[in-house]
Amino acid sequence: MTRSSTVFSPIRRREPSSAFGYRAIVIGAALALLLIVVVAVALGPYQLSARDLFAFLIAKVTGAVSPLPAPAETVILQIRLPRVLAATAVGAALAASGAAYQSLFRNPLVSPDILGVSAGAAFGAVVGIFLSLPVLAIEAASFVGGLMAVMIVYGIAVAIRGRDAVLVLVLAGVVIGALFGAGVGLLKYLADPYNQLPAITFWLLGSLAATNPRDLTSLLPAVAIGLVPLALLRWRIDVMTLGDEEATALGLDTRVLRIVVIAAATLMTSAAVAASGIIGWVGLVVPHLARLTVGPAFTRLLPVSVLFGAGYLLAVDTVARTLGAVELPLGVLTAALGTPVFLWLLGFGRRTAWS
Amino acid sequence: MVVSAPRLAIEDLSYGYPGHVVGHGISFTVDAGEVLCVLGRNGEGKSTLFKTILGLLRPRAGTLRVDGEPIAGWNPRRRALTFGYVPQNGGGTFPFTVAELVLMGRTAHRGPFAAPSAADREAADEAIATLGIGHLAAREWLRVSGGERQLVLVARALAQEPRILVLDEPTASLDFGNQVRVLDAVRSLAETRALSVLLSTHHPEQAFACADRVAVLAGGELLRIGAPAEVVTAETLRACYSVDVAVLPVAEGRYRVCVPRLYLD
Amino acid sequence: MRRRDLFGLSAGAIAGRAFAPPLVEARPFTDSAERRIDIPDEVRRVFPAGPPASVTLYMVAPEKMLGWTRAPSPEARPFLAARYADLPELGRLTGRGNTVNLENVVRLTPDLVLDVGDTSATYVSLADRVQEQTHIPFALIGGRLVETPTTLRTVGALLGVPKRVESLAHYAEALVADVQKETAKIPPARRPSVYVARGPHGLETAVVGSIGSEIVDLVGARNVAGKDTAPRTIVDVSPEQILAWQPDVILTVDRRFHATMRNDPVWRDVKAVQAGQIHFVPDLPFSWLDNPPAPNRLIGLLWLGKLLYPASFPQDIRAEARRFYALFYQQEPSDAQLDGLLADPPA
Repeated sequence: MTRSSTVFSPIRRREPSSAFGYRAIVIGAALALLLIVVVAVALGPYQLSARDLFAFLIAKVTGAVSPLPAPAETVILQIRLPRVLAATAVGAALAASGAAYQSLFRNPLVSPDILGVSAGAAFGAVVGIFLSLPVLAIEAASFVGGLMAVMIVYGIAVAIRGRDAVLVLVLAGVVIGALFGAGVGLLKYLADPYNQLPAITFWLLGSLAATNPRDLTSLLPAVAIGLVPLALLRWRIDVMTLGDEEATALGLDTRVLRIVVIAAATLMTSAAVAASGIIGWVGLVVPHLARLTVGPAFTRLLPVSVLFGAGYLLAVDTVARTLGAVELPLGVLTAALGTPVFLWLLGFGRRTAWS
Repeated sequence: MVVSAPRLAIEDLSYGYPGHVVGHGISFTVDAGEVLCVLGRNGEGKSTLFKTILGLLRPRAGTLRVDGEPIAGWNPRRRALTFGYVPQNGGGTFPFTVAELVLMGRTAHRGPFAAPSAADREAADEAIATLGIGHLAAREWLRVSGGERQLVLVARALAQEPRILVLDEPTASLDFGNQVRVLDAVRSLAETRALSVLLSTHHPEQAFACADRVAVLAGGELLRIGAPAEVVTAETLRACYSVDVAVLPVAEGRYRVCVPRLYLD
Repeated sequence: MRRRDLFGLSAGAIAGRAFAPPLVEARPFTDSAERRIDIPDEVRRVFPAGPPASVTLYMVAPEKMLGWTRAPSPEARPFLAARYADLPELGRLTGRGNTVNLENVVRLTPDLVLDVGDTSATYVSLADRVQEQTHIPFALIGGRLVETPTTLRTVGALLGVPKRVESLAHYAEALVADVQKETAKIPPARRPSVYVARGPHGLETAVVGSIGSEIVDLVGARNVAGKDTAPRTIVDVSPEQILAWQPDVILTVDRRFHATMRNDPVWRDVKAVQAGQIHFVPDLPFSWLDNPPAPNRLIGLLWLGKLLYPASFPQDIRAEARRFYALFYQQEPSDAQLDGLLADPPA
């Protein structure tokens, strides 16, 4: 037998500058987000100077009497601030879900809609509009629709054994998404062209124009609750990228992990779609950009995706409401911006390995 | 006299897929510090056997025991603390660094939400050092060539601190030098850490390089099992691969080479 | 404020530390959807939420209008008082389909937001939401044709002009009563069937009971398009269907369609076309039939009654139109304008 021989060589970890680089990126993104928030609150048809805003902030913090007239306060507290918070939450939710799914499904072309959540949420909302339900019920129906679609998809995946679990999930998602999409089409056809169809169409294009402070009481908790499991499981989500077999051999219960990640992402995405309608591209492009910046490790990808997504959607929404006299649908804008960015990523992205 | 149970015991195992049994009636044991080399032709089911042992596939029949205890009810975490797996084409397609990948081997050693501890990093570093791939630690996994990838995967399995190492054709895509290095590492791991090692190979000669015992699978059954000198013979090889082979001792019998008769004519 | 569920209030408080603006001299008011709102004693600035509201507002109290939902077309403007025709375009305020930014609503500091029309659950909740967010009272008033007198009186009370509105409401009452009385006398057999041709090809129609069919229904004529199974108010039909129906009278609302249909082979076999019973519904400044569904339709009621039952309605439509326009649009049309209004669109 040969003698054992171990070769010792110095181990070079990741360069120390890279750790610094990551921290710099996170801080930079957080500061950028803060800046966008401030700008977003300052911009709008109702003119508010920076000085007004600052005075208002000071007054609120110190509890003094507000220096602004009542309508100005209404604009800030009831109209602009809820919308800014909603855009931030929706952007964060979509980006985080996209990042989680891209790891879970081991595919950079995956968006949060892949399991049909958007199609189901759209169907729920359209049913609500079709039945002339109150707005709160429409939003609830949208939320439930999204959850149901994913549950059906997951049920199908569980029922079909003996094949690659991920593949079955994706295919079932495509099919169920198409089914709910057909349902939406049917309801659009049956809907009243005067009263219902415009509302349906606008909902499907995505918009935060009608954001109400009350919407936040369901949106913000849902996004927070959804982010928690993803954050806690960030190390394990990385291991899931190795595939079911290896991940199991390394000690993970891949089935449970998959359920938890899907449930968290679906909760967030359903709540986001219920609040804003269908907004695409954020969940696909933002995680990509984040990955290009900080690499694939979910421990880094999650916070950066959240910051990028929140900032991106907030910036786009601010443009949507300030560019013209009329509101531009948010989904249209994100597609118009997302497509060229995505093409650029495909063409020139450095670290988009998966080649 | 108390005879302790073997580290790994396979009892009358039938393995395969639902509706399709690949192998049956397989029984053997592997002890601590022992290297068992499994030979068999393509499609014989070596990978399937290994996956069944690892718990990735359910046994169709029979019992698997570790230290005498049946492992049928074990959860993935417990299995991962016992078995280290080095797959044929593992590592995934994400651009993690080698160091990050090896660190993933420590997953089973901590809770579901925990970040890697200092102990985890130490174990990973040690595994990397043992395999001599320190110079690769910061490199992106996908930029590592096929041969060195195998060493990374072995390091990852090693970081798991398993008691049984299962390697599915570890030398399949390695150059000659790397083949030697991997087999040497495997051998020394078995010796120094008293690991049980189960590996499969398409080169019967390698059994002489590293194995304590050899098992030959043919026709879905265990044809022979025993010391390499006994098992790796011309008739066994003919039954296994349907090729006429001459098994010739060299270097005063310290090693044997397997030469197809075709080349000798 | 109006009755509100506690959850909404506390949520609003948590979300933005909302507080009610100081309301001076407020009075309670119950709108058509049973919503109790507090409106200022003096309502000076009113924001119309949709087209029916802006037209109604113009008719009742144009000096309180902040603008139009959609600016009147150049052809419509000569029929309106010039200084109000020039008011700015504000956009629709109807929830997710809205085109107006709520900030603009707040910026204009209206005393009241007025919506006339649908009072179903969706619109009620939309009204509540806008009101909650902007702290501006939002009044939802029903707008069915048959309740026009009530609509007018309610809006008049709301805006503090009950006396002025009385003449309008009185006219509406008298007209509706007259039409109903006269048409009740006509036996069902002699009531003609009517098809309302909409869209560029005339293949869209309003079904029985819908807003677009209110005139037809009220006049006692039979709308060939029966009730729709889905809650649609406008449906698409095929030429075959129209041939199967063979309506006695066709009302058109699209100028281009009216001009081309006579020569269209598809329509040639329709009884109404052969009998020359195709009538373009006057639409200046606003349609006499349906768009928007507001008191502008009243004159259409008389016009249609006269068309279908000439014996029952001997009034001179020109004189009546002149009277109606002077009263409701505050501008008496000239003879030339009336000619243009009542003539068929040129081929």
